[in-house]
Amino acid sequence: MSEFLLQTIWMVPLYPLAGMILTIPWSPGMIRRTGPRPSGYVNLITTFFAFLHGLFALTAIWNQAPYQIFIPWLQVANLDLTLPLEISTVTVGATVVITGLNVLAQIFAVGYLEMDWGWARLFALMAFFEAGMCSLVLCNSLFFSYAILELLTLGTYLLVGFWFNQSLVVTGARDAFLTKRVGDLFLLMGVLGLYPITQTWNFTDLAEWASTAQIDPKLAALLGLALIAGPLGKCAQFPFHLWLDEAMEGPLPASILRNAVVVATGAWVLVKIQPVLSLSPVSESAMFIVGGATAIGASLISVAQIDIKRALSYLVSAYMGIVFIAVAAEQTQTALLLTFTYSLSMALLVMGIGGVVWNNTTQDLTQYGGLWSRRPVSAFAFIIGGMGLIALPPLGGFWSMQKLVEQLWISNPSIAVLVLIVNGIVAFSLTRTFGLVFAGQVKPMTYRSPEIHWPMALPMMFLSGLNLHVPLLFLQWQLLPSLETVNLTVPLSLAVSSLVGFALSGVIYLNNNWQKPVQLGWKPLQDFFAYDLYTPTLYKVSIVFVVDLISRVMYAIDRYLVDGLVNLTGIVTVFSGQTLKYNVSGKGQFYILSILLGISFLVILVSWPFLSQLLIVSK
Amino acid sequence: MQLQLQYFLLLAAALFCVGIYGLITSRNAVRVLMSIELMLNAVNLNLMGFSNFLDSQAIKGQVFTVFVITVAAAEAAVGLAIVLAIYRNRDTVDMEAFNLLKW
Repeated sequence: MSEFLLQTIWMVPLYPLAGMILTIPWSPGMIRRTGPRPSGYVNLITTFFAFLHGLFALTAIWNQAPYQIFIPWLQVANLDLTLPLEISTVTVGATVVITGLNVLAQIFAVGYLEMDWGWARLFALMAFFEAGMCSLVLCNSLFFSYAILELLTLGTYLLVGFWFNQSLVVTGARDAFLTKRVGDLFLLMGVLGLYPITQTWNFTDLAEWASTAQIDPKLAALLGLALIAGPLGKCAQFPFHLWLDEAMEGPLPASILRNAVVVATGAWVLVKIQPVLSLSPVSESAMFIVGGATAIGASLISVAQIDIKRALSYLVSAYMGIVFIAVAAEQTQTALLLTFTYSLSMALLVMGIGGVVWNNTTQDLTQYGGLWSRRPVSAFAFIIGGMGLIALPPLGGFWSMQKLVEQLWISNPSIAVLVLIVNGIVAFSLTRTFGLVFAGQVKPMTYRSPEIHWPMALPMMFLSGLNLHVPLLFLQWQLLPSLETVNLTVPLSLAVSSLVGFALSGVIYLNNNWQKPVQLGWKPLQDFFAYDLYTPTLYKVSIVFVVDLISRVMYAIDRYLVDGLVNLTGIVTVFSGQTLKYNVSGKGQFYILSILLGISFLVILVSWPFLSQLLIVSK
Repeated sequence: MQLQLQYFLLLAAALFCVGIYGLITSRNAVRVLMSIELMLNAVNLNLMGFSNFLDSQAIKGQVFTVFVITVAAAEAAVGLAIVLAIYRNRDTVDMEAFNLLKW
């Protein structure tokens, strides 16, 4: 049975695709009488089947060698576009994580979108995402990965623009699409530039090629930078990070997916092309710089946010920055492990705050407070998610971070220190969010705050359990370091950095005597981080300004110069007709004169040879 | 001085040109008709000259001239009739006043 399911693992993306199509009839314009709820249930069923399929296939592939299957797509001239699928423990496991998180997010959505009519659209798009992500992890070709990334970009646009009658949603969806699109287009340049050199887009073949390749360092650097640019936009890294902030305007169940899994698709591609990237030290240091800057910058920004969703979205950028660092340090296994633990924890965190936002209406952290005693489920989920995210033993995030830092300690001590600092800041930020929401005084907005109903509590609790089990899973998979060989410095420093972050933040935010809102000594610095390093302004004065200016100039050239030239021809013709008509003077004698002039001109023309001869002779 | 064909032709050309000048510049419609007569006479002079110098046996040119005189008379008659018809309507024979058919 599971052997058969493994053979047909390529069907996993088809379940959500079928679900996507099946939801369409429940759009408000089609089934007008019975409401949109069945669309959600249909999707839950298809997603659950996809999850089961993946799970059984995973038991079959466990401890077996990976293999590829090929699905022919298009063969034209010398180009062979066959879709290769890689069936390995990692890829099948990734589909299980994706579909599993989707099941939970969709149950959550059933609760969260209680009062909404747009179920068909939301669930169709979530299913579209699920299908895209499952096919991305299964597909083993850079070309098809690019195609799927573009589809996901379109999906992001539609999903962020879900409640499109809100103006901020429209601008957010626009920025999300354009920013990711720019990254994807650079990726396309890299994809197209790679083919003439390697003659293949298959990740396995690319890795093989890269192990012996000798190419011009400049070419390798340019290729590497172009290939990084795609994940750069997808993972919301500096300077392409603004879209994730604005994407928080979208519906929250979709944010669970986006924060947990969608941004990880960029990291997945980055991990897959790591052998090519390692050809160039330039692209590796670029990854270090971008990842490091994003990790530090975004975690600091998150500390300064007052919007509960945005305080988490910047942590997404920060964690993806750490994944970039891991890939730059050529630790692809650690990067995947980090993505895994991060996904589970971040999904739980977003669910936790989603539960709080749902029945307190506000997202403003300064208007929250004192929810601890009445919202134990949400608080518990938030605590588990937060502890799983940062490096705090014995939960999952600690072990992946420990692997990363241990290897960085040897190769790049300064980066290792940076990761420790980021870990501390993230701990500070999460404790701050927790303190502001759950601890302290009750505020008017949180005065009556009942606990959420079961469709939101169930996935939250289930995911909490899963997060708590991650260390046991690691133990089962023999991913934990053995106690004899482990160097105690790294785990200790990680734990210390987390605890310092906790303690500092706890003193400020879990302490009712500390004056809130907290003012930093120097207001401009606080504003600088609170306003996301003024990135919107930066975009506005740089790239948006230039493109806008050029397009205005081009429009003016088109409007006045090109159109003007064509119109000028017409105007000249009209004008000449208007003027030349005065030749028809209405005077008979004038006509006779023209006839005579014409005849004499013609005669002179015809007899010119004779006349000129006569003139010569007479001389 | 021997009279030569060229002299006749030059005289006829001069007369023709005088006729053209009159034809184009006259404001009086009758004078235009008179200028046309001048031009026809210049043509007749040519025909007579050629007939005399080049075809003195068959004198076909003289026959032509007879025809031209005849047709010119008829044409002048019709022309004057047209001028009269216009005059009845517009009470003038000024060519400048006949510019109704313009653009």
